[in-house]
Amino acid sequence: MNTLIKLEITRTLRNKKFMFFSVVYPSALYLLFAASQNSTDKVKGTDLTFPALYMVSMASFGAITAVLMGNSEKIAKEREKGWVRQLRLTTLPGRGYVLAKIASAGVVTLPCIVVVFLVAAVTKGVRFEAWQWGALTVAIWAGSLCFAALGVAIGYIASGDAVRPITMIIYFGLSILGGLWMPSTVFPQWLQNIAEWLPTHAYAALGQAIELGDAPHGKDLAILVFYFLLFAGGAAWLYRKDTLKA
Amino acid sequence: MTQTAPPTEQRTAPSVVSFENVNKSYGDVRAVADLSLRLHPGETVALLGPNGAGKSSTLDLLLGLRNADSGTVSLFGMTPAQAINAGKVGAMLQSGGLMEDVTVRELVKLGCDLHPKPHPVAEVMDRAGIAQIADRKVNKLSGGQEQRVRFALATVGANDLIVLDEPTTGMDVTARQAFWATMREQAAQGRTVLFATHYLEEADAIADRVLVLHKGRLLADGTAAEIKAKAGARRVSFDLEGAIDEAALRALPFLSTIDISGRTVRIQSHDADATMHAVYGLGLYPRNLEVAGLGLEQAFVAITSAEEANAA
Repeated sequence: MNTLIKLEITRTLRNKKFMFFSVVYPSALYLLFAASQNSTDKVKGTDLTFPALYMVSMASFGAITAVLMGNSEKIAKEREKGWVRQLRLTTLPGRGYVLAKIASAGVVTLPCIVVVFLVAAVTKGVRFEAWQWGALTVAIWAGSLCFAALGVAIGYIASGDAVRPITMIIYFGLSILGGLWMPSTVFPQWLQNIAEWLPTHAYAALGQAIELGDAPHGKDLAILVFYFLLFAGGAAWLYRKDTLKA
Repeated sequence: MTQTAPPTEQRTAPSVVSFENVNKSYGDVRAVADLSLRLHPGETVALLGPNGAGKSSTLDLLLGLRNADSGTVSLFGMTPAQAINAGKVGAMLQSGGLMEDVTVRELVKLGCDLHPKPHPVAEVMDRAGIAQIADRKVNKLSGGQEQRVRFALATVGANDLIVLDEPTTGMDVTARQAFWATMREQAAQGRTVLFATHYLEEADAIADRVLVLHKGRLLADGTAAEIKAKAGARRVSFDLEGAIDEAALRALPFLSTIDISGRTVRIQSHDADATMHAVYGLGLYPRNLEVAGLGLEQAFVAITSAEEANAA
């Protein structure tokens, strides 16, 4: 199982194009969104400036992009090519396959997050305590694994041409409703009530709590852990159950 | 060879493979119909049938990649999944893909690490003839090379059963021969080898037992020689000049069918040599003589109609 995890990570690192765009994309979006904002006004309903809020949003969004897009399509393709059938003839348990995919996704998200932070600090003068930077990195990185698991699950549910549109709908839906693009405080109340329970909202809230100098809220952590177990468990179950004809 | 009636000590051991009244349908298509069979330790068995005969479905059921609608499949007295986890089964699938963006060596090493009783990586690659392409990326291989990598993955450990689905597809003649030489070594070490093929010649050259599958049913189970005798009919056609004595032609020996249209005579014979000898014996001078083996498809039709005739 460890060999597979190592091999999946090696493979991802070798895919230079994918790495490059995954890492550059969220930083470019951050510059686009944050460019017109000044660094002193607070965002409505929060105690944070736009550049600081968007830093967490875009780091989270970028991490989600990389793991969701990368995983779901790769897995759907591997199923079609029959690699998953071959793997099922080995002693590898379902969780081994899913863990390896999540681990390789984690390798991509870490540089994504760090680069967004660097860009925010350098161009918009975003400043935090050392512990906050550390905690932000760990929280956003660990949180991205939840979406890596979702990517694996989508790769199992969808196949062929359907993967991309399904991934896109879930990806934009979760990103916008979860408040990654604009603060969810601008939504009407009923939508805010729904958004609160989305994994993306909990994910962004982790980072925002740290930026405000608090510990992440227990509720957000619980929501993320719940979704992680749901997605990863579902993916492992689908791996064993998958009967797609290659 | 007495593989169809194994000695008693083999009978008491659990069968390597056992199918009992197994059925599998996809929608309206019956892929496997009431299939019962047992494989015994050390046998080399060919699963022979034309495309669409249910070979791949049978192997999928055997390996637990699909579940039967009814009936039971067991390997070494266990479920397929248990047998795989115990490291008893190695398989090379026609539909089995390979991981991309990794080298051949990395992939074989992964296979070895996932096997409970692995062989050394170098040994596995040597045996499969892929040592010289060890550093090449998997997605840059030719069809034949890919097949050899699949074969390596099927033999990464000390399996008791090796299952191969049309393993020589995409290989040239030399590679084919080398492949079967390796397979014979595996069999000589007491392993049970089951391979699917649609070449009667391949089954004849390699297997000591042949299972003939047609439309998901087991049509015949015997030695290659027995199957060949059943399916070994030849097609003979020739033209005759002058008056044609139909009665004499219909009385030719070893005929299974005869069709006379105009000057042309078309015959199916179980012994083409003897039939033609008799034609010359009638004092005839056949022109445009053609003798050809029956394709496997037609051979199956021949076997099927023979079975139906027996049943009637």
